[in-house]
Amino acid sequence: MQPGRRKLAKLAAGALVGAGAVAAALRTTGYTVPSGVPLVWLSPWQYLVVAAVARRIVDPDAPDAPSPDSVDVAGFVDRYVAAMPSGLRDDVGGLLGVVEHVAPLRAGYARRFTNLGPSAQDAALVWLERAGGLFAGAFDGLRALVFMGYYRDPRTWPQLGYEGPTLPSGAERAP
Amino acid sequence: MRVESGRTARGEVAHDVDVVVVGTGAGGSVVLRECARAGLSVLGLEEGGYHTWQDFSQREEQMFPKLFQEGGGRLTQDRAVRVLQGRGVGGSTVHNTNLCKRTPDPILELWATKYGVSGARPADLEKSFASIERDLSVSRIPDDAVNANNEALRRGAQALGWQSGVLMHNRVGCQRSGFCELGCAYDAKQNALKVLLPQAEAAGARIHADVRVTKITTRDGRATGVLGDVLGERGEIVARYAVRAKVVVLAASAVGSAELVLASGLPDPHGQAGKKLRMHPGAVVAGLFEREIVGHRGIPQSVECTEHLSLEEGSPKRTWIIPAFAHPIGTAATLPGFGKDHMRAMRNYRKLAVLTAMLHDETAGEVAPRSEGGSPKIRYELIEADRAGLARGLVACARILFAAGAKEVTIPAVPPVRLTSARELDALDTAFVRPHGVPLSAVHPMGTLRMGDDPRVSVVSSTGEHHQVKGLFVADGSLFPTSLGGPPQISIYAFALHLSPHIVARAR
Repeated sequence: MQPGRRKLAKLAAGALVGAGAVAAALRTTGYTVPSGVPLVWLSPWQYLVVAAVARRIVDPDAPDAPSPDSVDVAGFVDRYVAAMPSGLRDDVGGLLGVVEHVAPLRAGYARRFTNLGPSAQDAALVWLERAGGLFAGAFDGLRALVFMGYYRDPRTWPQLGYEGPTLPSGAERAP
Repeated sequence: MRVESGRTARGEVAHDVDVVVVGTGAGGSVVLRECARAGLSVLGLEEGGYHTWQDFSQREEQMFPKLFQEGGGRLTQDRAVRVLQGRGVGGSTVHNTNLCKRTPDPILELWATKYGVSGARPADLEKSFASIERDLSVSRIPDDAVNANNEALRRGAQALGWQSGVLMHNRVGCQRSGFCELGCAYDAKQNALKVLLPQAEAAGARIHADVRVTKITTRDGRATGVLGDVLGERGEIVARYAVRAKVVVLAASAVGSAELVLASGLPDPHGQAGKKLRMHPGAVVAGLFEREIVGHRGIPQSVECTEHLSLEEGSPKRTWIIPAFAHPIGTAATLPGFGKDHMRAMRNYRKLAVLTAMLHDETAGEVAPRSEGGSPKIRYELIEADRAGLARGLVACARILFAAGAKEVTIPAVPPVRLTSARELDALDTAFVRPHGVPLSAVHPMGTLRMGDDPRVSVVSSTGEHHQVKGLFVADGSLFPTSLGGPPQISIYAFALHLSPHIVARAR
């Protein structure tokens, strides 16, 4: 990599966090998390963005599949991200700001992601997915977190035909 | 096996030993054992925790944080490549899929003739390979253990007249549960955790988990030890850690070892440390079959296709094709898109066969030290020849799947490439093979502290000792001057064994 490109890469690496932070600073109040949700690392607005994204990432119209809310995808993502190194956590935080404030604008909607209707939310996510560069990479990471939060739950396995672990709990096992 | 966690300590912890080994995976476990058997006092330090077969729950969301760096979320700087690296006592040998191939003879010859590596030709390494293969009970995977995903690869390759074969592995008592990448709950993997570290400990080696080494200390051109931190449950620093040693051995992977060398500010007059990172990056292709495949059960990888792999530098044939099935979370992350289309694909989970084209790469990436609270900085941008090679490899995967009977093949590009016949491949525009155009994963970092006799183009000598810092050795995949074009674990074990006499001699 040539020095000029390295400098660009460094600038780009900070851009995601920067863009998200600036975007998030525009509006981080007025978000109300349902009572009884104990947040570990995500702020209320970030939690609500994750929950909204999860409802679109996982097929919302599948009648026989549990909803992302019912398996607490956003709560899982909160706990999982809390255990990551601070740099990665900052990335996630920045991305959520981009999802909430930047992606809708780029998709042609002058409202926050959490205030958009389903088709507009999908359009914003498609923009992010196809934006290339850091946005696309970060979206892929967010998508992976949502899928982890969803498919970790045994209630989602029957629709796949996945039987789950072959073992009972560790204490009952012998080699 | 007794492994102490550094977490019981508070304040400053100090040790004085003959040899300190940073990392307890394939390379570190061998060096620990050999040094202990030579009567040296030796201490192994592991950044991750100590987990045994009883902890392996077969649950992705529970095991990723325990067994992988950054919970499996380690990425290159441009977020284009996911770098899956082991964490914990036993390193990547705990989660790998047990494929056993020696370093190919042409690769060893290339290193000798072009990269100035001496004493490491095939005949020089024969004893080390044979010894490690005995230790790890390496054997050919039985034909009846080839599951339907692997059988699809074999059947498709044979139908096309392409070279394929059954692989060797290091399992004994395998229950064919299919959860290898999450640690073996049946303790069937004959790896660093199961075999070599217990042998090291029995010979007197000590192992401390939850200790991240942050600096190599030196004086007058000699290594004098390491400094580090004891990490708490959430990665917070709970104590400072110091080891004084005659010899320091780096076995923390081509990312971790190089980062440590660079962060320590060691002399590097030719600017070689951390450069020329190879990773075997790969992408997957999924085939949908009429009948059930059930790729998540059985040995995950037992068949390879080497038709598109040449070990000659500069060859356009540079992909190694193997199966790549995963459990639901991994599969969901692999399949393209989101929403209704994605869930429809997931509902075909039992009818999918998945292959990966893994690059025998010539791209020269780079590792740099992390910023405060961050991750190691990994820069890696595919050169055009690798991009083109990967595109050919993905097309080859698709041809294999169609030849095996797939009715639909998906390349998870953005947007997805969905094909219903092999004829469509003839005119396929592979421009999607670009950063962020197709998800890339890499599991084999190599080459950042290359061995060789010429300090201008290598970091350590052919004995593994740093050119500028006496008493500092490398014993992991960082050593390799090029990528291998196949699974690296046997190469790492064997080179660590091959170099151990030099380490022992320096410590005496």
